[in-house]
Amino acid sequence: MLFSYNWLQTFFNKKLPKPEKLAELLTMHSFEVENIEKKGKDWVLDIDILSNRGHDCLSHIGVAREIGAVVNSKFQIPNPKQIPNPKSQTKDFIKIEVKDKNLCPRYTAMVIDNVKVESSPKWMRERLEICGLRPINNIVDATNYVMLETGQPLHAFDLDKVSGAQNQKSKIKNQNYKLKIKNIIVRKAMKGEKIVSLDDEKYQLDTDILVIADQKEPLALAGIKGGKKAEIDKSTKTIVLESANFDMKTVRKARQKLGLQTDASLRFEHQPDPNLTLLAINRVAELIQEIAGGKTAKGVVDFYPEKPPSFRKKRGVKLDLDYVERLLGIKISKKEIIKILQSLEFEVFHVSGSMFHVGVPTFRQDISIPEDLIEEIGRIYGYQKIPAVLPLSSLIPPKRNDEIFWQDMTKNILKEIGFTEVYNYSFISPNQLSTFNSRFSETIEVENPVSIEQKYLRPSLIPNLLKNVKENLKNFDEIKIFEFGKIFKRGKERKMLGGVITGSFYELKGVIDSLLQGLGISNIWYDEYKSTPEQSNINIWHSKKCAEIKIDNTEIGFLGEIHPKIIKELGIKARPVVFDLDFEKLAKFTSEEQEYQPISVYPAAVRDLAILVPLDVKVVEILNKINSAGAKLVQDVDLFDIYEGEELPDGKKNLAFHIIYQSKEKTLSSKEIDKVHQKIINILEKDPEWEVRK
Amino acid sequence: MSSFLEIKKQALKELKGAKNLKELDRVYKKYLGRKGEVFLVLRDLKNFSENKRKEIGKEINLIKKDIEDAIKEKQKILKERATDEIIKKERLDITIPGKKIEKGHLHPITLTLRKIQEIFQNMGFSIVEGPEVETEWYNFDALNIPQDHPARDAWDTFWLKPKNLKLLLRTHTSPVQIRYMEKNQPPFRIIAPGRVFRHEATDASHEVNFFQLEGLMVDKDISLANLKGIMESFMKQFYGQDIVLRWQPAYFPFVEPGLELAMKCRTCKGKGCSVCGNQGWIELVGAGMVHPEVFKAVGYNPKNWQGFAFGWGFDRLVMMKHKINDIRLFYNSDLRFLKQF
Repeated sequence: MLFSYNWLQTFFNKKLPKPEKLAELLTMHSFEVENIEKKGKDWVLDIDILSNRGHDCLSHIGVAREIGAVVNSKFQIPNPKQIPNPKSQTKDFIKIEVKDKNLCPRYTAMVIDNVKVESSPKWMRERLEICGLRPINNIVDATNYVMLETGQPLHAFDLDKVSGAQNQKSKIKNQNYKLKIKNIIVRKAMKGEKIVSLDDEKYQLDTDILVIADQKEPLALAGIKGGKKAEIDKSTKTIVLESANFDMKTVRKARQKLGLQTDASLRFEHQPDPNLTLLAINRVAELIQEIAGGKTAKGVVDFYPEKPPSFRKKRGVKLDLDYVERLLGIKISKKEIIKILQSLEFEVFHVSGSMFHVGVPTFRQDISIPEDLIEEIGRIYGYQKIPAVLPLSSLIPPKRNDEIFWQDMTKNILKEIGFTEVYNYSFISPNQLSTFNSRFSETIEVENPVSIEQKYLRPSLIPNLLKNVKENLKNFDEIKIFEFGKIFKRGKERKMLGGVITGSFYELKGVIDSLLQGLGISNIWYDEYKSTPEQSNINIWHSKKCAEIKIDNTEIGFLGEIHPKIIKELGIKARPVVFDLDFEKLAKFTSEEQEYQPISVYPAAVRDLAILVPLDVKVVEILNKINSAGAKLVQDVDLFDIYEGEELPDGKKNLAFHIIYQSKEKTLSSKEIDKVHQKIINILEKDPEWEVRK
Repeated sequence: MSSFLEIKKQALKELKGAKNLKELDRVYKKYLGRKGEVFLVLRDLKNFSENKRKEIGKEINLIKKDIEDAIKEKQKILKERATDEIIKKERLDITIPGKKIEKGHLHPITLTLRKIQEIFQNMGFSIVEGPEVETEWYNFDALNIPQDHPARDAWDTFWLKPKNLKLLLRTHTSPVQIRYMEKNQPPFRIIAPGRVFRHEATDASHEVNFFQLEGLMVDKDISLANLKGIMESFMKQFYGQDIVLRWQPAYFPFVEPGLELAMKCRTCKGKGCSVCGNQGWIELVGAGMVHPEVFKAVGYNPKNWQGFAFGWGFDRLVMMKHKINDIRLFYNSDLRFLKQF
């Protein structure tokens, strides 16, 4: 909110600190001053009033009270003067009818007759403009002025425009019509009712919205904005001033429904003190008489059946000075604590020992527990003066978070292999979802997405990773990326590790091998992807180039190419290979144990072996045979070439292996090696379709 | 005899003339080889008397040794000359760019988070995590932010369908405080990093998802002075000893008193610049003493425990650190950006 420095000064006899100094003090003790600007002879301070102080500090009086405590200067609210018209009484003009006192705890009204509507004096216009309000006429300006001063929103109606009882309509020409008592009704709007606001906007109302109405129709949106019907204009003579208190939740709900936030609704949403209405209405009457003439009718009509419990009497909060010291971590003297509380208009009574009873003024709705008072003491004393002390606490070593430990390890390994980490949005678009079709069931939809692109929570990391591939292929030929992130399905949230490369299946398989090995996982194997019947036509994977990654019997994820149809739909000009791992499952298999394998002191010998086998024979079948035939002497087998081509017999492929022979007990003679090698060949060739090439 | 000296003389002469190791080898073979001149002379020795043989043999051995030494000497010179030749011939251009080794990159947010975690772990904090889809209770009510309260306006929220489940994307990491306290008893000190969501229009400084870090320490008599102690120690370890910090009042419903920690802008030294939005100060952390209502919500007796909590979004911190001017760069996975880290 914008504040006038000169206006704030009016509440003090003593000169206030210079604007810059004052701003700094307020920032350190009350509210942050975001900006100071000189305007003519005044300065405008943009103060960020904290939301728990909206009920008293969205006003010059509220901030002046803070300043009084902060600069230790006496602050005073001048008492409004009144010149009542002895002939008329407000209750002769109007009657207030509040349908639900919970929605409108107080309604104070006053009538001023014979006003002259014109533009307000320069000093008032200037102050309004400094505070960001547009001057309109002296009546409206006076109500706005008092709102800025006291925090109490006010409204003025042209009484002549307020409809009286229906059956009196015909008698309007009677010159005594003014003396007919008119009803001002505070009620819920009826479904289908409409109102045109002061700024000519039409609003459809419903029963959630509280209105001020006459006998016939709504005159104003309660606590939000006035209506066109009873607008003050040049010909207005008699005005009704409204100074009311509305239920904060009702105003908030209506403001959200109507999409209409005003200076009034902002204040009502913070539930100002109902005791403020009288001060404000007297103040605005004083100002109107001063600048618009007219005669104030005697007395107010005040609907205030029942003060809400918290306003009924001065509430008390017990305060233990020992607790003040324990919570703030500094001893502040009793004298200083009392002085601070009194400067904020709290009443302090000593009970016994370190116990005090603190009376809370009704304008401090935010104070209800000792901690609230301790905050007041701490901030006015100055947080800056409280020492920074490292806690004296039992030495408990921090517990390692294993999942985060292994996550960091995983990131490091992938980085070493040349992968770049990405963070994608947690959302996907309907387009992305439909490309993957109902392939992701149980997807969660956002009720209020910011854009259509972010309509769903991502049910998988893959859609956004593929999008990354498409975008980055514009600048890079080769892409290797990974992401750690949460995915969402109805009732489920899982931390996944996904990655994609523009390379081959075997390259990525090598990556997974290195990664899992680095995480101390040894029992990894790759299983054929078997889709269940209902999945068979909704598979995102290329069914021939995809594997399930398993550790023992647990499936931890997938590896493979994405279905070419999807790649085509996404317009990706490459065949990306993707991995998708359930990291929560994976993390359970990780291990830091690592046992040293003795290095044989005897030399190793290498023999090559090339074999022709049918195309559908898997390498693992050959490896198994070599290993079992070679037994302990085969130390390692290394596939170094796969060849399929025209020169080979139909339906055959050629595989070439290095077989490394080594014994842990002795140096193998070439005779011994030849013998084992021949044994392997014999076993391989037992299958008539297999042929070892010599 | 003279023929011996003659051989030696001849050998040394040819030796001197040898231009490379190959020629030198030929000289060696000619004189000292198995069919070389010296060998031939030695073969003829059998024609002499015993005494004479001894005498001549001695002499020949001396000559042989002389030639051998000379060859070794020459060999050394020629070898040096040969390597000199290599160096003379070979060259490279040190200004040609080095061979590119493709390495991987971690996200700048990961890098900063690791640094933050390390500092807090050294101060005894454990790292915990919580879900990103939250219930209204954990995200708001348990944190003393009641429904229909204007305080809720500070957290623009993504709600999830179906609406009756009251599920939302967490607007802050504070629900992790609640979840942790429900399952653990003080004393403890934790930090909870994670992704949070705000329903707001995206621009260079606002994103719908970003990262936050929450902290919580609870014990018998943890004070506001301790909050200052931990946070100031962290800031100095993270930014350096020379930073200037200030604590100002703030309001968060789940702490009381509530504070905000700001750092004097290091770019403009507090004068106001684009980095600090002309404020001179950069608000870093929201913090305060845990509100008794929060303790009650998790079943603690507020009379027995005191604690502090703090939290901040650290995307902005990473942006400041690397002079990044657009938060969206963090989430659009452009490798031209990510490969710089």
